[in-house]
Parts: sequence; C-alpha cells; structure tokens
Amino acid sequence: MNKVNAKIQRLAEIDRVIHEPARLMIVALLAAVEEADFQYLHQTTGLTKGNLSAHLSKLEEAGYVAIAKSFRGKYPLTICRLTERGKEVLDNYRRVMKAAL
Amino acid sequence: MNDSSPRFLDESPDAIADRLMQKAHNQDGLPEIAIGLTFLVVAGLQWLQVAYQPGSPEYKLAWWGYMLLIPAVILGSQWAIKMVRRKYLIERVGYVEYKPVNRKRFWAVIGIAFVVACAMAFAIAARRLPPRSWLLAITGIGGGVLAIQSGRLPRFVVGGVLMAATGLFLVLIRVSLEVGFMILFGAMGLLSLVSGCVVFLLFMRKPVEAGE
Repeated sequence: MNKVNAKIQRLAEIDRVIHEPARLMIVALLAAVEEADFQYLHQTTGLTKGNLSAHLSKLEEAGYVAIAKSFRGKYPLTICRLTERGKEVLDNYRRVMKAAL
Repeated sequence: MNDSSPRFLDESPDAIADRLMQKAHNQDGLPEIAIGLTFLVVAGLQWLQVAYQPGSPEYKLAWWGYMLLIPAVILGSQWAIKMVRRKYLIERVGYVEYKPVNRKRFWAVIGIAFVVACAMAFAIAARRLPPRSWLLAITGIGGGVLAIQSGRLPRFVVGGVLMAATGLFLVLIRVSLEVGFMILFGAMGLLSLVSGCVVFLLFMRKPVEAGE
C-alpha cells in the first residue's frame, strides 16, 4: 500500500506543462532533433496550426522552447528548438513516469 | 486531438518522437522511390551476371557496380532526399535539422557488419556455406522484416510480407541463386518505386496551407 502511495506521490511531481499530450508530442519531437520549423511540427504532430501555435507559445513562456523567426527566400521559417531547461524537464518527466508506472 | 496523439502512458517520449518522425519521413514517398531505384540497380547488376559469362567485361562490370555503385546510391540517395525536400518541398514538409549520427550506434553497426563479413569469409574459406537457396530465403525474410520494422505503415507491412513471400516462393520453384536475386530485387524495386510514386503524387495533390 505504501508503495502505491509513493508512486502516486511521485506522479504529483510531474510537470503539467509537458504532461499535456499535444505539448508532450512537441517536446518529445524537439528533443529528438536539433531544431525544426513550425511546418514540420504541424505535419508531424497533425495538430491544427492554431492549436500548435498556442501550445508553442505556452512552451516558450515556460522557457522550454526557444523560437526564432526568419525567412528562407520567400518562405517564413519559425525555427523551434528545445532549451536546456526543456531538456531537463523532459528528462525529469521520463524519470518520474518510469518510476511511477 | 487527432490520431497522431500519443498513446498516453503507453509510450515513452522517445517512442512517441520515433513513431511520429518515422511517419513524417515516409509521408512524401521519396524514401520508397530511393529504395526502389537502389533495388532496381541491384537487379540490373544481377542481370549482368546472369546474362554474361564469368570473366566477361560485363560480368566484371557488375562486380565493380556492387563495390562502387551500390554504396554511392545508398549514401547519395539520403543526400538527394534531403536536398529535394529542402529545395522543392520545404513549404509542404517543413524544415528539420536532425541530430548528428550517434557515434556509439554508428560504431556498433560497423562492428556488426565487420563480424558478419568475417563470418562469411570464414564460411567461404572453410567451405561451410549453407545451401544457396537459404541465402534467397534469408534475404527475402530479412528484407521483409526490415521493411516492416523501418516503415511501420500498412503499405510497408504489405511490402515486407510480399518480399518474404517472394523469397520463399523463389526457393520453392528452385531457381538459381543469381536468377532468384534478380527476380527478388527487381520485383521489390518495382513495387517500391510504384508505391513511392503514388504516395508522392497524392502528397503533392494536397493543398499547401498558407500562413502559420
């Protein structure tokens, strides 16, 4: 019983910003690459552009994702990259989930 | 959420990323076109060895082709896919910069390839080769499993099953190893090329959404 309680207590440590499924997808993808643009994330996650934009803003506000806007010819590039803080939070998320489940 | 949402609590973040990236990698059909062309090159070289006598210039050309052309096609196709996507398809597929190759994994693959090559050289020297038909069956089944594992999409499963079945069928009808390889790679190359072209055309027909 105590083991179960300890597991449940560990789940309370989970970072709620990246526990949300769509944001977890974004963070997991960005952790697997150096950087990616908005269109790649849109294509890969299948999220609508509005939804993706809102989630990226939340992740940027939390300091987990760095966003840089530029152009490649006429093509607007919104490059997203996981910050060091984002990497730490994802590592911690992995550990907590592994221990709790 | 849509069908690409993570299977929550079932998958680790790494598995989610792996699955989504694999799906994105195969969405435009270019990797299948590259695999199809590579297989057709192999089938063409095999045809040279079936049609011409050992020692003839064409037969020797096939060996040079295996040694030089196939590694160039395999490595060059990855570069070509990246270049085509960056230059012509960026508005559709987006921009991504992958992490550099994991050195541990790279050396592990090189190590395994070295061990396999040594084992084959030893088997040839000691004349302890398995029956030649086994090579055909192993290639068919191995290629099929690899296709299913690396593609993870229904069309790759169909292709993988067909490759394994073709390998076994060729063993059963007792064709020679050379002819068997030629048919196996030719058929699979054609299938992969056609499938890739269809996926590419369907992908290009999708309208590009403007703005972010």
